[in-house]
Amino acid sequence: MRQRGIRLGLSLLLATLGLFAFAVPASASGETVGGCMAEVLEHHGEIHGDVNHEHVEIQVHHLHEEELQDELEGCFEAPSPILPELNEIIWGGGAFLILFVVMVKKGFPAVKAAMDARADKIRDDLDAAEKAKTDAQSVHADYEARLADAKNEASRLIDEARGAADQVRADLVAKAEADISEMKSRAASEIEASRQQAIADLRAEVAGIALGAAEKVVQSSLDDDAQRRLVDQYIDEVAGS
Amino acid sequence: MSDNAIAGYADALFAVAAANNVLPTVEDELFRFSQALNSDENLQATLDDSSLPVDRRQQIVEDLLGGSACSTTKALVSMIVASGRSARLSSIVDAFIERSAASRNKTVATVRSAVELDDSQKDKLVAALSGATNKDVEVKVVIDPSVIGGLVTEIGDDIIDGSVRRRLNQLRENFR
Repeated sequence: MRQRGIRLGLSLLLATLGLFAFAVPASASGETVGGCMAEVLEHHGEIHGDVNHEHVEIQVHHLHEEELQDELEGCFEAPSPILPELNEIIWGGGAFLILFVVMVKKGFPAVKAAMDARADKIRDDLDAAEKAKTDAQSVHADYEARLADAKNEASRLIDEARGAADQVRADLVAKAEADISEMKSRAASEIEASRQQAIADLRAEVAGIALGAAEKVVQSSLDDDAQRRLVDQYIDEVAGS
Repeated sequence: MSDNAIAGYADALFAVAAANNVLPTVEDELFRFSQALNSDENLQATLDDSSLPVDRRQQIVEDLLGGSACSTTKALVSMIVASGRSARLSSIVDAFIERSAASRNKTVATVRSAVELDDSQKDKLVAALSGATNKDVEVKVVIDPSVIGGLVTEIGDDIIDGSVRRRLNQLRENFR
């Protein structure tokens, strides 16, 4: 890439130098009024010597000729705004051809190489961008998938937590009901035991009272004859055993 | 106090009473004194009170027995009280009576009754108990009003309870 840029710069520099080098002779080829007049006079033999030399001898005895004057006046006429001078066409065309050849041989390949490199770079960039886009889409899809997984996981955890909470609540309710049932059963047992104990105590109390009364009745009713009969009965039982 | 000590005291009492030829009298007097002592907790506590001088306790025994007991009986009871064994006097007397009866080849039966038994009843009871146990039995009758009616006989480890108290207790158990 850098070499292509250097080559392109050198091509442009060479073309510029060529343009200036061929332009100088074009401007010095008699485009001025003075040059035009010198050429006319030299053509009619009025000037002896080199017109570019300081020692020019001008013979003015033919200056009043009408043909010469017309030609001289022609030098004052403005050049054609459309068609340049022949020499300019020649020099310009040569320079153009040289420049064209240089450009075809050096400039255009360099520019084409640069354009190709630029296109390749743009294509690579586009490919990279496409790849980055694909990667981004992949990352996005992965992110979406992970987000969906996270949502599913969160939903699952929430469901599990809700299920666990329901289970804990059910267990607590069952335990509370069991405790209540046990407490009721225990209370009923205690009440029954208390009732049985009260009945037993009452029965014992009644029995004690009744037996106390019976004992007093028996004692009062046991006279000497009764005592004797009891003793005799005891002796008979011992003797008969 | 170990059983050996009780048997030793019983043998000593038996030897003294036999030597003085008052064995039946001493046996009967000691038995009655033992029954009286068992029925009076204050008398038991007084005779067993080591804070009282021995002379004082012996004087109490002398006052209780007085002229109703022979001198041998009073001397033996005073000896037991002076030795500090009054708490086990009842056991010593029981062992002495057993020892005395054994010397006559007899077995003592303690009979508790609410009323006194006449001689006829005692003879019938001795005959019945001898026939039931196949032993020659002597009867010691203890008056115990808690019996209410009937008799309770103890021969060794056997108890023959024909008392009204037992029947009342059975009736009480049936009420429960």
